Amino acid sequence: MPRTCIPVRAPLTLALLLALPAAQADSGVGVDSWRGNKLDPSAGAASATTDARGMSWLRPDLRRSPGGHLYVCPAESPQMQPIGEWEYAGRVQLGYLITFGDDANGHWNRYVKWDSGLILGLLEIALRRPEDGSYADIRASRISDDDAFFQAAFGRAGSYKVEAFLRELPNVVSGDARSIWSGVGGNDLRLIGGLQPGRSSSAEVAAAAAAAPRRSLEVVRSKTGLGLDLYLTPQWSGYARLSEDRRRGARPFGGAFFYNFVFAQNAGVLETPRPVADSTINMNLGLRYAGSAWRLDFGYDGSFYRDRYTRFDFDNPFRIAPSQPGASAPPVERGQFATEPDNDYHNLRASLTRRLPLDGEFSLSAAAGRLRQDDDLIAPVNCQGLFGIDQDGSGQPGPANRFLYACADWNTPAALSRRSADLQIDTLLLDSRFTLQPLQRLHLRGGLRFNREDYRNTYLAYNPLTGDYGYIAENAAPGSILGGQTGIWNPFAARSILTRVRSIPLDQQEIAAHLGADWRLSERNSLGATYTFTRDEPSNRERRRIDDDSLKIAWSNRAWERLTLRASYTWLQRGGDAYDYRLYAPAYSSSLPGFVAPFGGLPAPVVEAMRKYDLSDRREHKVDLIASYALREDMTLSANLRGDFNNYAAQIGRQAYDTGGISLQWDWQPGPDTQAGAYFGYDRSRLVMANVNEEVFGPDPRLGGETFPDTARWWAYDKQRNRSAGANLVQRLGRVKLDAAWNLIDSRGITSFRFNSPLALAYFEDGAAALQGAFSPLRYRVDSLTLGFSLALTPRHSLRLFDYYERGRLQDWHYQGLQAGSVIDHRVYTDAGPQSYTANLIGLLLDIRL
Amino acid sequence: MKRITALGLLCAAALATAGPPDLRRAGRIEGDAAAGAAKVAVCVACHGPEGNSVVPAFPALAGQRAAYLYQSLAGFQRRADPASPMTAQVKDLSDADLRNIAAYFASRPRTPAAPATAAGSGEGARLFREGDSARGIPPCQGCHGAVAGGHPLAGTAPRYDYYPALAAQHSDYLIARLGHYRDGRIADTSNAQIMRGVAHNLDDAAIRALAEWLAATPR
Repeated sequence: MPRTCIPVRAPLTLALLLALPAAQADSGVGVDSWRGNKLDPSAGAASATTDARGMSWLRPDLRRSPGGHLYVCPAESPQMQPIGEWEYAGRVQLGYLITFGDDANGHWNRYVKWDSGLILGLLEIALRRPEDGSYADIRASRISDDDAFFQAAFGRAGSYKVEAFLRELPNVVSGDARSIWSGVGGNDLRLIGGLQPGRSSSAEVAAAAAAAPRRSLEVVRSKTGLGLDLYLTPQWSGYARLSEDRRRGARPFGGAFFYNFVFAQNAGVLETPRPVADSTINMNLGLRYAGSAWRLDFGYDGSFYRDRYTRFDFDNPFRIAPSQPGASAPPVERGQFATEPDNDYHNLRASLTRRLPLDGEFSLSAAAGRLRQDDDLIAPVNCQGLFGIDQDGSGQPGPANRFLYACADWNTPAALSRRSADLQIDTLLLDSRFTLQPLQRLHLRGGLRFNREDYRNTYLAYNPLTGDYGYIAENAAPGSILGGQTGIWNPFAARSILTRVRSIPLDQQEIAAHLGADWRLSERNSLGATYTFTRDEPSNRERRRIDDDSLKIAWSNRAWERLTLRASYTWLQRGGDAYDYRLYAPAYSSSLPGFVAPFGGLPAPVVEAMRKYDLSDRREHKVDLIASYALREDMTLSANLRGDFNNYAAQIGRQAYDTGGISLQWDWQPGPDTQAGAYFGYDRSRLVMANVNEEVFGPDPRLGGETFPDTARWWAYDKQRNRSAGANLVQRLGRVKLDAAWNLIDSRGITSFRFNSPLALAYFEDGAAALQGAFSPLRYRVDSLTLGFSLALTPRHSLRLFDYYERGRLQDWHYQGLQAGSVIDHRVYTDAGPQSYTANLIGLLLDIRL
Repeated sequence: MKRITALGLLCAAALATAGPPDLRRAGRIEGDAAAGAAKVAVCVACHGPEGNSVVPAFPALAGQRAAYLYQSLAGFQRRADPASPMTAQVKDLSDADLRNIAAYFASRPRTPAAPATAAGSGEGARLFREGDSARGIPPCQGCHGAVAGGHPLAGTAPRYDYYPALAAQHSDYLIARLGHYRDGRIADTSNAQIMRGVAHNLDDAAIRALAEWLAATPR
């Protein structure tokens, strides 16, 4: 019997395609409309028998999308068994997995954490009551301790639907970590191995790190949700969704105590395992009307983030010492961070759409939102006693010892100008669109959008206990190494310290308009053009106005019998008003009354020639060519050629970013028993950056001037090349099914650089000559091979034996040298970085139709 | 193109040996009406002279689509249902005989016993022309034509020739037939699969309204 189905190309693609029916069944609002796992992203759909009857009884041929691609064949309908007034179908898949090879590798376990043992591949039960369209569905899976899902839904077609789900998903973020702290996963890390906070040497810390057991760092996400859909009348419907996303675990983070490359024995840099313990509740409510003339959509979206911890503290093992010979400083024993603040988000929206004459439509949407956080602020430092530099050795803070401070004046919320954040962002969106068909062959479309974000309130860092302004940097470590680097300004005692004293509100307003037309040249040949203008007006960026003009021309042709061709070209030009490189001056102490410019003048904040890439003048040319060719009724060859070329008008900053690529794909399904496909993709990118080192702290902002001389200029070139390829084959031979799939991802990135002289370099004055102008390639290559054998034992029982082999070759120069030890000078690296691996997974699954 | 045609023929051949016919891929039916006329002596005893049946329970065959008639006769042969009076009538007929008989009845004009008095409006006409979206009933005219003479695309591709003309058919026969589709008692062709879904939401009153309107509609 001929078959009207297309082959499976890749599990993920299939999963996405198979997810469509579920997404369509829902209202499309909320999160987690489909649940699968890495063993079977399709949650059973991929192994379902495709329906040999095709997609429609009305016509026999394969169906193709407007783009010329074959549609996916639907799965065979389940064989429902009667039980009273109900019918049911069920399926359970039980099995055993064995993993071996480098199966503790972090990358191998990313988003899955494979483990040997018994698994529930899938449990699926469907109940139907044909009499009134009532239904109930249950789906569940468990493939490891932290990787499982359960979902249940019931309802009546055209009346209502209730859904609930649970989902646990592990994420191994490091498979090779050594922690010098106890309490990983909590918010209070304490040193182990006899290390003393603020008093341990590099050798002692290295010994403790070497003795620490290897472990993985993981974050487990647990999601639960409830959903309700109501179909009130054929025109009116409503929905409600409520879900909670909880995360628990730890991941590599930071912990800086000033520049350790410059001050190898004074400063310290720690990679701490920070806790992840938060919860986000999402809520969606909506009411919709769909009539013949009007469509209405009213909705509310809410998101509520809560972190279990307000702060995260950790011991610092190293002695943070003044760089000045003979000076002393109290030890900096602890570091601290504030965790992400609890926050609430509300958004109300309404949308009205009206049909117009000339086959037209007009829609008007409005949305208003509020994001608010009022979390308690943590004190500037968490020390006891004193901090800073004891210049005169008296141990007494005061005018004569002005870089030494009493912790009691800073380790309390009373040292803050406000106890809680009290920050808010209000958003407003207005959007209108229209379409018209004034002529049989002409479609017109246009739109106007207004978008605004208003920041309410700012924060001034002022300590009412001392009269100081500013933020204490890195728990006072810089101020313990260099006098005056604490990060605070005082109108009497430190009048010339340039430091940040307030937050910067990022208000912005955007107006965008577009007008376009599609002209149908012939039955299967159309040409389109769209002009878009966007004006962005940020309040506190270097430019107060950024204008984008773009023109897109698109051509679609299906006039040739087997070929579908789509091509587009986009031209974009960005400009705007003058670039103000001193824009952030009001956020610094220099803006406060009483500030006295330092000797030599106020340092230039940045070289004036610098242009941030999202504000810089830019010209973009983008081309896209997509073709699909039906080699035969059951076979398609498709290709995509693309390029995007950006030139930035920046002497300093991003100068160019170009990407280009090609992909080829071949699909074939000669009959119900054979499916095959292959693909190949290749793309490249090039990023050019220019920069200049700050040679002296001076007021001259000119490029080529005293502060930023030409001799200090340097350039970086980031080149990326990605290749992907794959092939798959499924062959049925009576009761036996064989499947094989191979996939390759191969990425290679090289960052090279050049500089005018060693003055361009912050460290390594020889320019790290051994590198010869380029860092080692970053390499990511993963090959995977799946071989499977399935045997139908009876019409209700089948057995599947499969082997999944994966080999990863990963190189990252950032982690070079850490094999010899994870502690260098005063730097501690907890995560050993990505490791190459070869691992295997063998599974035996028994599939039973209930 | 030839390769695609060959593939299609191969598929059709596969279909012919693999259960109920898939009329989506069935070929064109041609026969010799004159030769068929010599084979219908038994047929007209029940189905009337030239296929213009006068007994409401027996369908009128005159003017019906040849492809539809052929596949119906082939179905009686294939099913060989001992309870059906048609089984004995078709068991000794060759495939050429079936084609010829189908061609003969298709060539005869439908001359209803009673004058046609189709109502232009009413429930039957409304259901046939517009369906009833609230009840999940599609309009019949989409597949049987605006005047119930067969598929609007008949003649453009063989598969459209297998959709029957319904106008001027006996209402009793139509009522029985639609009831069988609704109750899932007919499922032996791909077109029967379509009709199962179409008739699923028809209640007895709707079936009767449709049948009576169709019977009164001239062909």
